[in-house]
Amino acid sequence: MKALLPLCLLALTAPALAGSFAGSSAGASSAGSSAGSSASSDSSSGGDDKIVLQARQDAAGFVASEGRIRGAQLEAALRTLRAHDPSLHARSDMQLAQAILAR
Amino acid sequence: MPVRRPWRRRAWARRLWLALLLAGLAWLPAAQAGVRLLLDEAGLDAAERAASAQLIQDVQARLPPAFGQALDEPIALQWRADLPAQVHGRAKGGRILLARPLLDALLPAAAHTPEQAALAAHQARAALIHELAHLYDRHARGGVSRDPRLLDLAGWQRRPLRPFSRAPSAMRDRSPDAYELTSPREFVAVNIEYLLLDADYACRRPQLRAWLAQRLGMSPDDGRCAPALPFVEASAAAGQAQLRALDPARVYAVDYLLAEGNAQAMSRWGHTMLRLVVCAPGRTPGSDCRLDLQHHLVLSFRAFVGDVQVSHWRGLTGSYPTRLYALPLEQVIDEYTRIELRSLRSVPLKLAPQQIAGIVQRAAQLHWNYDGRYYFISNNCAVESARLLEEGVPALADAGVLAITPAGVLRRLRRAGIAEVSVFDDMETARRQGYYFQAASAHYQALLEVLRTQAQVPVDRVDAWFALAPAQRAGWVEDGNLRVTAAALLLEQAAANRAEHEVRDELKRRYLGRRRKGQALDGELQALFEAESRLARPSALLVGETTSGYGLPIGAELSALQARGAAQALILADGWQRVRALALGALPPAQRAMLEGAQRNVESLSARMREQAREQAPGSQPDL
Repeated sequence: MKALLPLCLLALTAPALAGSFAGSSAGASSAGSSAGSSASSDSSSGGDDKIVLQARQDAAGFVASEGRIRGAQLEAALRTLRAHDPSLHARSDMQLAQAILAR
Repeated sequence: MPVRRPWRRRAWARRLWLALLLAGLAWLPAAQAGVRLLLDEAGLDAAERAASAQLIQDVQARLPPAFGQALDEPIALQWRADLPAQVHGRAKGGRILLARPLLDALLPAAAHTPEQAALAAHQARAALIHELAHLYDRHARGGVSRDPRLLDLAGWQRRPLRPFSRAPSAMRDRSPDAYELTSPREFVAVNIEYLLLDADYACRRPQLRAWLAQRLGMSPDDGRCAPALPFVEASAAAGQAQLRALDPARVYAVDYLLAEGNAQAMSRWGHTMLRLVVCAPGRTPGSDCRLDLQHHLVLSFRAFVGDVQVSHWRGLTGSYPTRLYALPLEQVIDEYTRIELRSLRSVPLKLAPQQIAGIVQRAAQLHWNYDGRYYFISNNCAVESARLLEEGVPALADAGVLAITPAGVLRRLRRAGIAEVSVFDDMETARRQGYYFQAASAHYQALLEVLRTQAQVPVDRVDAWFALAPAQRAGWVEDGNLRVTAAALLLEQAAANRAEHEVRDELKRRYLGRRRKGQALDGELQALFEAESRLARPSALLVGETTSGYGLPIGAELSALQARGAAQALILADGWQRVRALALGALPPAQRAMLEGAQRNVESLSARMREQAREQAPGSQPDL
């Protein structure tokens, strides 16, 4: 019987307990939300803003590690920024990552 | 209710029957090379004969070509007053018996409103078509209900480890007629009724419509239905539930998404999901869509527990309902990598656009209609996800990808040659391109090293850093540069996350303690579980609607959903906040101080990081 138990692949929804708390607790207290961005973010921000805000955590890791920690959310934000303003191609990834943190 | 009884049919017996019948019967106007129905006119007056003829004509005009080709011998039709109540008709051998009340309702004498007349006509047609469908299905050229593909689409699920057995249908939600669930034969008869009589069938059950139409030689769908399929993208956590209309043509790829296991027994074997790589509006489907992360959708089968504790016994006995959730990818990334600290591996599957569409369509059907039961071994998330792939893509059903663990399914996908695991050859690229989302904890040590080298923090173990008082941690990094601030912020978020887990545990203790003492459960918590279960079941959002919709919701149902989902989610988010506040209040002061201190640190570090980033190399930084 005991051997069977680990086969459980259950993803708990037992809701608060799986994520609601961390996800819903307000503002910066939210451990799961993006690097405290909620404190200043405009809730009505458009899709592109959201991409950049979502990348805040990745960008913080990138800046802290001098580029060694690099995730897909940062990559997506860099692409979005450069697509909207081609002059940003002249800027390094690090400069853009810092600009994301400055928001 | 039409009921079919098994009836031994012998060719000679049927011929004898027909000979007897033909002696006393008159031919009705012969249908053009289609199914021929012979009315037994005995005891019928002129009006009854006329109504019957009208019914036969109506139905004949709707029958698909395959019926006429298979049912090439005349079929006798008889009105019977001796069928049990609730039985509308029977098909025996070459005969169809229909319940006499259906005929009475058709007669002009049955004074009724136009609505009643239309209903009576509909019921009589449905009953006749139902019985004809049984005759066709039983015919050697029919055999619809024995086709493995039909069983897949209808919901008689394949089982792992038992290749020749099928589980009873669990497509209980939003069924047009619960009678269809009794057996594949009845499913076919009921669905052919709807196929031939309901213009919305193609929009409500698109895959079944396409398959049945092809099988029965009907013309393909006329493209009347909106191509986009509805999903309720619900996040009780964020207090959001929005109706997402997903056009399968916008999905560039489907990935097999694995959450790697962690030490907890419940998640040791990982969790299996499917990721839909949806392209941003305006982008031509292609590999560029891979980074449109905010549009990607995750399909996740989850058991709904509705309790703070999982019972192993209930998991083994199938007491938990399992449903197909549609979640935004970014929420899933947050949940797994930043809260549960588990990495996500997204394995691309080599699929043709048509196969991708098949998976999306199947997912939509399951999302609205599936009311499954969770079993630890035989019906867990790995089994369910693999089955969704098989039901969406017939070629995968032939290859066989069912297995009982996430790794087992992946092995089978590789063997079938569709899992592109080569994207993981270079992990750095995999991380950058979104094939691998690393657990935040993988970086804790590296971040602490930044503090050690840049801010002379005299701590070399992450655990020791987290064990310090929050004010102490803040003191060490308050004069740091931008790198230090960013590293400290990420570690502080981790500390807050850990403390948040303790609030959760406190809530659990509180809840279980009351239950052990036989006290009533926290009323609020109980109510929340119930509300949560409604949101977890999209079909429940439409209960009580005046429209009696089935299958996928369409038209007015969609607008009702939008409003109800959003309202429900807000109530939930609110409720969880209150329950959380209760648990927080019950937390021992020391733990509470840890949480609140970490939260304060997150806030001040976040503000400081913003300032420092603005000051950094003034002028050279782009203004976003």
